[in-house]
Amino acid sequence: MRGWEKVGSSRSNLGRAGSTVTTNRITSTVRLGRVEPQAPGHRNIFCNDREANFLVRFKGNSISTTKYNVLTFLPKGLFEQFRRVANLYFLTISILSTTPISPVSPITNVVPLSLVLLVSLIKEAFEDWKRFQNDMAINNASIDVLQGQKWVEIPWKKLQVGDIVKVKQDGFFPADLLFLASTNADGVCYIETANLDGETNLKIRKALEKTWDYLTPDKASEFKGEIQCEQPNNSLYTFTGNLIIQKQTIPLTPNQVLLRNFVLSVMLEKRMPRALEYCNGEKGCSLRNTEYIVGAVIFTGHETKVMMNSMNVPSKRSTLERKLDKLILTLFGALFLMCLIGAIGSAIFINRKYFYLGLTADVEDQFNPNNRFMVFILTFLTLITLYSTIIPISLYVSIEMIKFIQSTQFINKDLHMYHAETNTPASARTSNLNEELGQVEYIFSDKTGTLTRNLMEFFKCSIGGEVYGTGLTEIERGAAQRSGGNVGKAQKSPGLIHEKGFNFDDARLMCGAWRNEPNPDTCKEFFRCLAICHTVLPEGEESPEKITYQAASPDEAALVTAAKIFGFFFYRRTPTMVHVRESHVEKMGKVEDMSYEILNVLEFNSTRKRQSVVCRYPNGRIVLYCKGADTVIYERLADVGNELKNITREHLEQFGSAGLRTLCLAYRDLSSSLYESWNEKFIQAKSSLRDREKKVDEVAELIEKELTLIGCTAIEDKLQEGVPSCIETLSRAGIKIWVLTGDKMETAINIAYACSLINNDMKQFIISSETNEIRDAEDRGDQVEVARIIKDSVKKDLKKYLEEAQHYLRTVSGPKLALIIDGKCLMYALDPSLRAMLLNLSLNCTSVVCCRVSPLQKAQVASLVKKGARKITLSIGDGANDVSMIQAAHVGVGISGLEGMQAVMASDFAIAQFRFLSDLLLVHGRWSYHRICKVITYFFYKNLTFTLTQFWFNFQTGFSGQRFYDDWFQSLYNVIFTALPVVILGLFDKDVSAKLSKMYPELYKEGIRNAFFKKRVVGIWAFFSFYQSLVFYYFVSTSSSTSQNSGKMFGLWDVSTMAFTCAVVTVNLRLLLMCNSITKWHYVSVGGSILAWFLFIFVYSGFLIPRDQNNEFFVIYVLMSTIYFYLTLLLVPIAALFGDFVFQGVQRWFFPYDYQIVQEIHRHEPEHSSRMELLEIGPPLTPDEARSYAIAQLPREKSRHTGFAFDSPGYESFFASQAGVYVPQKAWDVARRASMMRSRPKLPPKS
Amino acid sequence: MSFKGGTSSEGSTDSAATKKSSKKPKYSKFTQQELPACKPILTPGWVITTFIAVGIVFIPIGLASLFASEHVVEIVHRYDEDCVPSDYSDNALAYIQSTETNKTCKRSITVPKQMKSPVYIYYELDNFYQNHRRYVKSRSDKQLRSKASESDTKDCDPEAVSKNGPIVPCGLIAWSLFNDTYRFSVNNSILEVSKKEIAWKSDQQYKFGSDVYPKNFQSEGLIGGAKLNESIPLSEQVDLIVWMRTAALPTFRKLYGKIEVDLEANDEISVVIQNNYNTYSFDGKKKLVLSTTSWIGGKNDFLGVAYLTVGGLCLFLAISFMLIYVFKPR
Repeated sequence: MRGWEKVGSSRSNLGRAGSTVTTNRITSTVRLGRVEPQAPGHRNIFCNDREANFLVRFKGNSISTTKYNVLTFLPKGLFEQFRRVANLYFLTISILSTTPISPVSPITNVVPLSLVLLVSLIKEAFEDWKRFQNDMAINNASIDVLQGQKWVEIPWKKLQVGDIVKVKQDGFFPADLLFLASTNADGVCYIETANLDGETNLKIRKALEKTWDYLTPDKASEFKGEIQCEQPNNSLYTFTGNLIIQKQTIPLTPNQVLLRNFVLSVMLEKRMPRALEYCNGEKGCSLRNTEYIVGAVIFTGHETKVMMNSMNVPSKRSTLERKLDKLILTLFGALFLMCLIGAIGSAIFINRKYFYLGLTADVEDQFNPNNRFMVFILTFLTLITLYSTIIPISLYVSIEMIKFIQSTQFINKDLHMYHAETNTPASARTSNLNEELGQVEYIFSDKTGTLTRNLMEFFKCSIGGEVYGTGLTEIERGAAQRSGGNVGKAQKSPGLIHEKGFNFDDARLMCGAWRNEPNPDTCKEFFRCLAICHTVLPEGEESPEKITYQAASPDEAALVTAAKIFGFFFYRRTPTMVHVRESHVEKMGKVEDMSYEILNVLEFNSTRKRQSVVCRYPNGRIVLYCKGADTVIYERLADVGNELKNITREHLEQFGSAGLRTLCLAYRDLSSSLYESWNEKFIQAKSSLRDREKKVDEVAELIEKELTLIGCTAIEDKLQEGVPSCIETLSRAGIKIWVLTGDKMETAINIAYACSLINNDMKQFIISSETNEIRDAEDRGDQVEVARIIKDSVKKDLKKYLEEAQHYLRTVSGPKLALIIDGKCLMYALDPSLRAMLLNLSLNCTSVVCCRVSPLQKAQVASLVKKGARKITLSIGDGANDVSMIQAAHVGVGISGLEGMQAVMASDFAIAQFRFLSDLLLVHGRWSYHRICKVITYFFYKNLTFTLTQFWFNFQTGFSGQRFYDDWFQSLYNVIFTALPVVILGLFDKDVSAKLSKMYPELYKEGIRNAFFKKRVVGIWAFFSFYQSLVFYYFVSTSSSTSQNSGKMFGLWDVSTMAFTCAVVTVNLRLLLMCNSITKWHYVSVGGSILAWFLFIFVYSGFLIPRDQNNEFFVIYVLMSTIYFYLTLLLVPIAALFGDFVFQGVQRWFFPYDYQIVQEIHRHEPEHSSRMELLEIGPPLTPDEARSYAIAQLPREKSRHTGFAFDSPGYESFFASQAGVYVPQKAWDVARRASMMRSRPKLPPKS
Repeated sequence: MSFKGGTSSEGSTDSAATKKSSKKPKYSKFTQQELPACKPILTPGWVITTFIAVGIVFIPIGLASLFASEHVVEIVHRYDEDCVPSDYSDNALAYIQSTETNKTCKRSITVPKQMKSPVYIYYELDNFYQNHRRYVKSRSDKQLRSKASESDTKDCDPEAVSKNGPIVPCGLIAWSLFNDTYRFSVNNSILEVSKKEIAWKSDQQYKFGSDVYPKNFQSEGLIGGAKLNESIPLSEQVDLIVWMRTAALPTFRKLYGKIEVDLEANDEISVVIQNNYNTYSFDGKKKLVLSTTSWIGGKNDFLGVAYLTVGGLCLFLAISFMLIYVFKPR
């Protein structure tokens, strides 16, 4: 502790401490003059020296992801709320209504506004509180820090830059650390970064040899290094810096950096609740297979790379919501018009002849006949406050609530979208876009991992010009069937080995038989290349049966597995060595453990498209093994043996057309002098601080040439379950599916065939850069020329195909069209001059396949359709390369489960399997769209109706702006009397069941056409609003103008209360009329709302309230004492709903929507519950589940009589038997149990 | 037994453990959106049935209402023009505003049918915007209710205070109180006009205080209408109470009183009207109305007609839909 107190004391005499540190620094900089020039901003960190670092004032390690604190909550929260136009509008209205020009008291607008704000603020506060708790939990997690000579536990938040920390096995890294030492020999540690980059393998990090010793506290306390490194930035995979230790400067690489836990931070930043629990349960970014490590803190808190990396993704808004904005604007227009009419009227009306209005000489401006313009202006403002209800204030809150429940309760918990194998339910990561799912017209899908399983199996290979492997892929089978051939089951060899990643069958290679092949040496190189050239980590016991491989990509694991089975068993990796147990040709049947020294690894990246390893054989031979995409390998082959190259290319094409993924293998023997001179350059490149990657790539280029081709591998990429049928369903729903893939054209086309995206009846338009003309141009090597030629040919193709397409479109039954384009051509086709043509052509095609596209191009294509065609788009993908596409489309869907979190993190919805898309779109999306449309139109209707009655009234009040209703009626109308039923509608309305939605995908087209929220629909609602408001006002006011049976007359407030009662009843009943399914909650909410009104008015008018005016006193009792009340209450709602009813009847009868037809076809079928199948799948039931299932299975009598809730037969005795009470058997009881036994054999029989 | 118990408990902990790690959503009717619901489908059959049902209910009600309304005897007599002497006919405003002129006006009304008691007397005003915003708010309910709030006149401008203090009752509504009076006689015998129970009870009992007396009312400046007897508390000033329940529309009737004897057909009723109230400045009509009531109240054809229209339309639509259904089924 003493050392720590020193830090505290040094603060008090800062000047002194500061001066010493500064001198230190100056001397060290001077001394280390030979350090390479650094980037303008860099930080110097003095390890294990808090005093020195104190001056620089690095940020602390505590993080805060909360939006507010206690003080800022109210101002900031309110500010956020008032950024919404609707709220701001109502604030303005509320302020206006406190002035004398207002006809209504402020409560009319203040009450609804405050209720809406209250609800929103409570939600904000609750979410922020959760975030705060998360932050606290993380900030207070403890970590061992070196203090003096021992480890002391302190909370994360107390950690400072330069501290030496100890992270134990399975622990999280509290900050970005410089890795110094580990308990493992040779200073490595293993970390898992599955959630960081989606790679499920363990990553090796290796400390600098210089620092290996600083492991124990007493040793570590001697560590006084200085770290010079880049300023905090958000690049996860780069790090440039130097460690200056014992007057030596050692370059640092990302390999020595341990990043703060990613998931945790991302989840926090995304404001996801329960981040900590999630992380503790999951494998996060944490230390594995290492007892503990020691590291120095480089970046802390918000400066850590992952925190810097957590971008604020702009939240997407749904198209429907943007249309809603237009509607609101229209309403503003209507409001303006109404106010204008009223204001003009009032300016004309006002006149001193109405002596009873007391318009004396000194009358206030609003009623001053001498200044009619002022009257006009002020009345205009008055009327705005009066008619403010035309804008539905609670609309946004209600919609938010509905969507929130839809996404958290319906989408997240849908058992149809739960994938048992990966234990992944669907997850809606935003609730903004539910209804957007119901309108999707274009789906952009990634291929690998989305359509296909990303389960790679070694399937075929070509070694030295000979093809091995006898299997047939699904695609080949499909192709054979299409061409009419009959392909039986392939003959399997008896000794067939099939394990994960290996599905290869050819006796010529198995069990060492390759030694008898014509070219065993090539075979040997082939297998060695497979066994050595990779970045795979072996895990578990070192025996061929038990070992598991951790690999960055499943292809790699499949290749290493293949090598293992062919007799080149890679079993151990150390930082410098790869150990392989080989069965050699020379020593028949014997195995020999060989260890190859790995001199350099030239890693794979998307620009290089290859990976090389330089290794030294035990006998000193230095070889570079390289594997990569055919194009890049062919460019780098030595100019000999063209025959092999051509044969192998043929094989490559053959594999490609079978839907297989290919890699070329090559090697190069290196002389040691050549290697040494190259290695020098390489090390230099590696330690450069600027553009390190680029330099390394350039240096790698120097050695990766004059390669000798060995052969190629072919890996099968399996289709996901249910993909073809899902695609078929979706295309029947009018959705067009585009496949955007990085794969070769042949592979892509074949996958498209396999997925039934393309079939033989389709006319295919292929725009490819693989034409002779382009190839020739490429061979000549003039880039400008190549570009020009490609552009011309693309233009020519586009023009030709477009004409053709238009020709087909004109013919009645032309074939369906498919467009296939590759990345290179796409680059030119996306050029502004050709873009329109491309769009035009592709929109006419049923399916589009883009192959060889980069992630950026995927995004470009998505936004081309989104912005160019203004269609609603959805992108689905699983990998990091799909992120841009997912963010570019209207809706982004991530495949969760196997690969990493990046696509999921960027997505709006995450599902486990492509096939769940049909549930997500056709069921949830469609329902959400229907519901939200209904909610919006209903809100529009109810507020317009209400406001129009006031408008009509105003015509008969001399345009004075007198309110028709009491203040409280008006303020509670939106928030109490009509609020709940519409929410219930938004949650439960269901036109056709989930099963029928999927059975008739065509129903989805109504959403694509936006059939339920277009101008005509809104117009019809407006018309009926108009009609109903006239009925409310004129029926009630006219019929009340004569005396009652006691001879007495009604006053204004009697009439208005009557009208309001009619309006509340009608508006609530109207809701029932628009429901497709009415649950008990509908009855409860509709009945409750009407009841709430009556309760309110009974209480409200029952007392004399200490207010200036008691207009409503006793009004309802006066009303109810007359027969008039009951006659009107029966007449007005029915007369008002008459129009709607006729319209609905006629519409359904003569112009039915598709869903209405389906409803009627299946109206007599009971809705088959999917309960059975849902419960059948997955692990056996828990007792609780069984119980809830059994309760759900209880017989439900269809009866008009609804009796006592527990009266239903079966209920009682069921619980009695659970509790062990004897209950006499009843006939139905036996039947029920029998059916239960049949459906659930796993359930133990009940005695 | 113990063995059995052991296994079962083991099993349950086991399943609890698997459940914890499983992210499988729990089944509930709510989350799976399988709540039992009735699914109304508006098929032609339902439409027709509903129309018939509405028609069957509405037409009798409409007929009954119309019948009751027809049964009411109502005499409407406009007198505002006729009660201006001919020499003032071009300048009715001067006539009504002058304090010198004789405002008494004699009219006679013939009873068309027998009118059973009670016969209600109304005055009907036209073009009188009792619902004007400036007018409606110009009152003080607190002041009307209790003596203590006498000076609570903030909404009452310009009739809030006089130089002697606050005006009770204040405000434009009270100030413009209707002040024509009617005296009836039939066959030279005077018909008593009863003012009992002409105001709603709740108004009289709770909204107008029995200890509040008119004060400084119509005492200065322009006189708007009737004066009040300062010795009678507001709760007994029934004309004021009736007047203060402001009307919804610019044309309205207010109850003036009751005649508690039957009027026979062809009786000549002579009315002596004190034509004091100024409706001439804004061209308002003044009418005297005598009316009996039935179970639905005064003469009110609207309800009956509306019921009949809606019911008739429903039946008509039902029949036409049925015809369509028969001749051109879907």
